[in-house]
Amino acid sequence: MSKSLWRTLLCGACFALSPLAAEAQEAVPAEVIHWWTSGGEAAAVKVIADRFDAAGGKWVDNAVAGTDNARAAAVNRIVGGNPPAASQFNTGRQFDDLVGQGLLADLSGVAVAEGWAKIIPGPIAAAATRNGKFFAVPINIHGQNWLFYNKDVFAKAGIQDVPTSFDALFAALDKLKAAGVVPIAWGGQAWQEEIVFEAVLLGQGGKDLFLKVFRDHDLEAVHSPRFREAVEVFARMKAYVDPGSPGRAWNDATAMVIAGHAGLQIMGDWAKGEFNAAGMAPGGPKVGCSLMPGKPGYLMGGDVFVFPKLGPGATPTAAQALLAKTMLDPVTQLEFNKRKGSIPVRIDVDTSSMDPCAQVGIAMVRDPANQVPSNYFLLTADTLGAVQDAVTEFWNTPGADAKSFVETFAGVIRSAH
Amino acid sequence: MAQSRRHDIAPLLALLPALLIVVFAYAGTMVWTVCISFTDSRLLPVSDFIGLEQYARLFSDARWILSARNLVTFGLLFVGGSLVIGFLLAAFIDQKVRCEDLLRTVFLYPYAISFIVTGLVWQWMMNPSLGIQASVRGMGWTSFTFDWVVQRDMAIYALVIAGVWQSSGLVMALMLAGLRGVDEDLWKAARIEGIPTWRVYMSIVLPLLRPVVVTSVVLLSVAVVKAYDLVVALTNGGPGNATIVPAKFVMDYLFTRQNIGLATAASSVMFVTVLAALAPWLYQEYFKAHRAGGHA
Amino acid sequence: MRAAASAPVPTGTPVARPRRPIAGRVALYAALAVAALFFITPLYIMTVTSLKSMDEIRQGGIFALPASPSLKAWTAAWSEACTGLKCTGISDGFFNSLRILVPSVALSIVLGAVTGYALSHRRIRGGNVLFAALLLGAFMPYQVFIYPLVRLFSAVGIYGSLAGIVLVHVIFGLPVMTLLFRNYYSSLPVDLFKAARVDGAGFWQIFFYVVLPMSTPALVVAAILQITGIWNDFILGLVFAGRDNLPMTVLLNNVVNSSQGEKLYNVNMAATILTALLPLAVYFLSGRWFVRGIAAGGVKG
Repeated sequence: MSKSLWRTLLCGACFALSPLAAEAQEAVPAEVIHWWTSGGEAAAVKVIADRFDAAGGKWVDNAVAGTDNARAAAVNRIVGGNPPAASQFNTGRQFDDLVGQGLLADLSGVAVAEGWAKIIPGPIAAAATRNGKFFAVPINIHGQNWLFYNKDVFAKAGIQDVPTSFDALFAALDKLKAAGVVPIAWGGQAWQEEIVFEAVLLGQGGKDLFLKVFRDHDLEAVHSPRFREAVEVFARMKAYVDPGSPGRAWNDATAMVIAGHAGLQIMGDWAKGEFNAAGMAPGGPKVGCSLMPGKPGYLMGGDVFVFPKLGPGATPTAAQALLAKTMLDPVTQLEFNKRKGSIPVRIDVDTSSMDPCAQVGIAMVRDPANQVPSNYFLLTADTLGAVQDAVTEFWNTPGADAKSFVETFAGVIRSAH
Repeated sequence: MAQSRRHDIAPLLALLPALLIVVFAYAGTMVWTVCISFTDSRLLPVSDFIGLEQYARLFSDARWILSARNLVTFGLLFVGGSLVIGFLLAAFIDQKVRCEDLLRTVFLYPYAISFIVTGLVWQWMMNPSLGIQASVRGMGWTSFTFDWVVQRDMAIYALVIAGVWQSSGLVMALMLAGLRGVDEDLWKAARIEGIPTWRVYMSIVLPLLRPVVVTSVVLLSVAVVKAYDLVVALTNGGPGNATIVPAKFVMDYLFTRQNIGLATAASSVMFVTVLAALAPWLYQEYFKAHRAGGHA
Repeated sequence: MRAAASAPVPTGTPVARPRRPIAGRVALYAALAVAALFFITPLYIMTVTSLKSMDEIRQGGIFALPASPSLKAWTAAWSEACTGLKCTGISDGFFNSLRILVPSVALSIVLGAVTGYALSHRRIRGGNVLFAALLLGAFMPYQVFIYPLVRLFSAVGIYGSLAGIVLVHVIFGLPVMTLLFRNYYSSLPVDLFKAARVDGAGFWQIFFYVVLPMSTPALVVAAILQITGIWNDFILGLVFAGRDNLPMTVLLNNVVNSSQGEKLYNVNMAATILTALLPLAVYFLSGRWFVRGIAAGGVKG
């Protein structure tokens, strides 16, 4: 016990003196809890693990399937006094309480040395910091308002252009319906329905309205005609999904687009992995990608790692600091995000080798006006859950009217923290 | 009760582990849970007392009310269905049928399979575009419809089917054991009297099986109150919120939604409800009956 | 197959039933066949799916027999399926589950037997209250206990260890085990205990030399219930076992429930059957003992 403590201290001292010296020391194992268990995800996380090992660390992998299970395992470990070196969360407010109770290491030292504040887009940096201090390392930006479509199916249905307005989108959906395919491959789980709702609200209502509703909890905005329009657009989509959609996982919906049974899917860019695995890379000849029609904006979600305090001090251990640094170095960022389907969290990386959809996303994110934080950033997990309840009830109740949904929704926003 | 001291201490010693478990693991955690329900705890427990606010929110939450209603619907149908099917199967098997061992194993094996696997398999089979409906339509009956799992009003019955599939084998085993305990003279007498078999089962055998029925109801009810895995695997509470149940409500707030205060308030309500529903009944079944020496 | 007479249960076999007419027998067998079909279908689907290729599965037809049966998915599930960076299938979990199962089953049965015995024929003040508290505990969802128990266990230093998970299973197995043994021992004749006491046997002597040797039926039922329950547990293993002892169900979940990635249904089904294999084997081998055990008063009431 004391021997390993001594070694840690020694290592920390070396690290403080010279980052290179740490590599010469015997590596301290760093256990990392994450929920990236599937093939493409594992390939992505392997990039971080290999880079960390090469930099002198020792990655100890602890993958737990299911975001809830993984977070529960991490929180129980942290509370139980046996925390891992690092643990995955979604970018946003999920780790508010861990920061509030002083359970996480303050990464400001690494952040300042590496200049994170300058290279990470504002909303992402804001979601990773509390009171100006970095308590999390954001590692990617997922775009959540993508539309993936099967080009053959579109051609057969006689759709020439990718819809850029909601009118054009519904015209295309009608054509798909007439062609005898399922127009929208719908994933029927509450979280999926909620992110489509976000995408529609952004496209129809614009960034301004989106932020007023979800960030400022502005009830006037909720009762505005524009919000109501967005709700009605969302409701119109009900006519274009198949009866088997309730409960469907997003990747099963993706499979419908791949097989040509469905025309398009509205989903985050993690769906690219499924298309790639089927040999139909989005942006290639078979499958197209575009952002949701209407007003511009890139709905940003993503993942972070937090580093629980392993000692009495607020600073991370040498291994934790090295891991944090490794996660954000340019090579890791590029290679990790290529495999994950997301885009790098630092905007100074040369991304010319990434796929065409990622290029679109990167171009969007370079302009701060297009950066839109998703609900994970803006709402507590509790409020987000209530929003999901309201949206999934509205979506799944035949004939539910927009007016009463707005009332329910206003109730949720009113009690938001 | 003139027992030696040695006799008094030994049984107490034997009960010590159980006592410790009840005090620390059950009572202690319950007290903790109730305390936290009066606080504003979110991801982690804190001690900012806010009175009954969580309870006020709980009872104005349509999803919680629905979960309670679903529990009643599911519970009645699941327990009832498992009892009826389990009893019928046991009665059938009891007719000196061939292949009894095989049949009994076929009916009982689902109980060896966890609820999470049960939910997974049935979700697949009941999915209208993959499962039974698609297959039957593929065979030519194109108007065949079996899509309960995606219908808001029917999804709860889909849960019942899967649950009954998993649990009625256990009831069958219990009932079969009970039937084998029925005195054969009774059958002889009934045959002499010329009473039809089904009437003997209904009017004479079933009342004799009362203790077995009670045990079955206890075991099944435990599964109902704890219903979580099955719901998560089969419908995940959907479509919409149609099949939410209290245990899933608690889990959602305990983990995903990071509101321990509300989750513990919901748990406390569950606890009090279970206590209120069971206390008189358990007393009746186990304590009074025991004192009267009434064990069939 | 032997007929019903193969189960010589204590209180009599169904020899004297009224003979039904032929039509009745036909209807009886038809009903049993339909029921058997209902019960066996999911297992059939799981099995054929595990033998198919993914291409074949995507084409639909869940009832169809596999075109070219292959055990590839089975080997993949057992030893190759990846969870994160570890690609060792669910085989590790099998051995972890065994290491959890054996002590948990043994300890919970012993404790249940002792507690049930102490609560059965002896009037102990507060005994009924203890029993009632245990029964109420059986009805509470695990979720209520998990969080405080994590704190308690980490305070004692057994959180995330084999000892921790075994203790948790003993704690949650106690109510049903106590109920089982208490009822079984209550059904034993009181004179037995009286006679032993007259002979000067103490509490423990009666337990070990008189009661325990008569407990086989209850022990069989207890073992079957506990093996099934503990083997199928997911949530307790996930929370309390620690990463070196994760049971098979948790690894199954890791394989089946990968949140964002392609779903290999054949591997999932194979993994599912593999995970269920041990309790299934226990049932196939001991089904008759189970019924006999219950018949002998194990769970009767």
